[in-house]
Amino acid sequence: MGKILAARLARLVATLFAVSLLTFLLVEQLPGDPVTALLPPEALHDLETMERIRTELRLDDPALVRYGRWVTDALQGDLGKSYITDQRVADAIRDRIPVTMELALLATVIAAVLAIPIGAFSAYREGGRFDRVMSVFTTASLSIPAFVAAIFFIWLFTLKFNWLPSTGWNRITDKGLLANLKTAILPASALALAPLAINARLIRADMIGTLKEDYILSARAKGLRSRYILMRHALRPSSLTAITIFGLQFGALIGGTVVIETIFALPGLGTRLISGIYQRDVTMIQGITLFVATVYVVVNLLVDLLYLLLDPRIRRQ
Amino acid sequence: MSESKDITGSPDAKSKGNGRLSAVKEMPFFVKCALFWLVFIVSAAIYTRLDRLFGQALPLQDPFYQGFLFGGASPVEGPSLDHLLGTDILSRDNLSRLLHGAWVSLAVAITVVSFGIVFGGLLGAFVGYARGRWETLVMGIMDVVLAFPPLVLLLALVAIYKVRSLPVIALVFGVLGIPTYVRIARANTLGVASREFVQAAEAIGTKRIWILFREIIPNILPSLFAYALINAGFVIVIEGTLSYLGLSVQIPEPTWGNMINEGRRDIRRTILPIFWPGLFLTLTVVSLNMLGDWFQQRVAIRSSAL
Repeated sequence: MGKILAARLARLVATLFAVSLLTFLLVEQLPGDPVTALLPPEALHDLETMERIRTELRLDDPALVRYGRWVTDALQGDLGKSYITDQRVADAIRDRIPVTMELALLATVIAAVLAIPIGAFSAYREGGRFDRVMSVFTTASLSIPAFVAAIFFIWLFTLKFNWLPSTGWNRITDKGLLANLKTAILPASALALAPLAINARLIRADMIGTLKEDYILSARAKGLRSRYILMRHALRPSSLTAITIFGLQFGALIGGTVVIETIFALPGLGTRLISGIYQRDVTMIQGITLFVATVYVVVNLLVDLLYLLLDPRIRRQ
Repeated sequence: MSESKDITGSPDAKSKGNGRLSAVKEMPFFVKCALFWLVFIVSAAIYTRLDRLFGQALPLQDPFYQGFLFGGASPVEGPSLDHLLGTDILSRDNLSRLLHGAWVSLAVAITVVSFGIVFGGLLGAFVGYARGRWETLVMGIMDVVLAFPPLVLLLALVAIYKVRSLPVIALVFGVLGIPTYVRIARANTLGVASREFVQAAEAIGTKRIWILFREIIPNILPSLFAYALINAGFVIVIEGTLSYLGLSVQIPEPTWGNMINEGRRDIRRTILPIFWPGLFLTLTVVSLNMLGDWFQQRVAIRSSAL
């Protein structure tokens, strides 16, 4: 176990190093004077400011030195400052990460909670009516692009029925859980559609295999009730695969919330990234990209380790 | 899926027919529909290109003609004989814009798939068969690219480098799509390389490069194709998303994504200008997914019989 852990950690450090290098090069490779890329267009006549920023950022140093400084700063939680909005990138991330995290978490939970019964009952009555209906449903929900689903939800639940708000965000700390869920449920549902379908399919396939095992037959022979067998005997071994997938999806969703946040105008990281893109705020784009990729890599590693921890067969090796 | 049943039920039906037509015949009904839709979309894309080539001489409305400026139509009309799917908020013909928009989605998807199969497939097969230091290096590089959430890296690239033209966008998508194909090609190569026919070829002293091209690559291609179909759907969604954000091919050139974005401004009045491109996007992705699933099952059956 210790050996595996050390190997994984070494790999994590190597990956993160490469990720940071790539993110740095993304901006470094920009053609032309880097100062012109950092500043808003109207500041470009101001030669004095440009010179000040050049010395402030020590842009005349060799690229390798600047990369070293950038990474050291990043490790200490300093991702630089936006020259467009005058905001520190790390502050922007800290302000906005709760919304993104909650959306990703809520979407993962929705996808998991709905997928388990759908997958389990589809497998239990393989080829039956429920299975066939769900197969159509999962194909559809896998294929509808999240942003199309989001806009359709807004049209249906806000404009037609007027049940839920289409924009804005209530913080849990300000308005309580219920008001918060009211603003979070539509975006989270739109996000959950694709992972829901993937989960349901995987759980179904996994359980069809499990249900053919001998110990299920012997449980049946003992006269145990079907529901009990399904939940206790069949779902348990399948839950390992499921947990791994849920974790990986959570990591992917942190990147996936970008568009959904924009559509619902939520104060999350994705909205900040997009507004940074529209303003061509290079420091902000670079910082958020590095942050999201880091979270993604770390979450994936944690899921890997969790899998090791849960499965005694792998742990013993 | 329920369709899987009649495929697995009659494995001998496949061996009877030869050629591609018999494969179409034994498709389940829904997969046939999917294929039909994809053929329709591809023809639409080609037709609209020809239409532009001939200076809009073919029978189809002009996708840029604004009826309320020059007469002939008003904004957000419902479906009529002149405009089969109605008009958008600038009173342009929806149907024509949808068909013209198919080109961007397809061009990007086809670029990604061919880059993936040609470069990714070759690279993956090569390192999977050669093993050793090259394998470690190449897979390490691929892992770094895959360490980014796909949309975020694309957004950063497109935003920082101000990429807005179709060829460059297709190129960026194509290059970023390669790593997954390398992974799949390598994983399959590892499996194929341990099979008897490869060992036999090695035993009689066939050159390794010959084995790579004659024994290994033909055997990993089916699983690459199966992935390519599903991947094409994914790419079309990502391109649609970028288009929706206004970061892909620019208006007035129609793409399904930017049509949805333009339609959003009038969502209170009507959903139709959003509904059509949304439907086209979804149907195309559904079709690719269904065809991909079906193909994957066939590949799985065939390789288990190998």
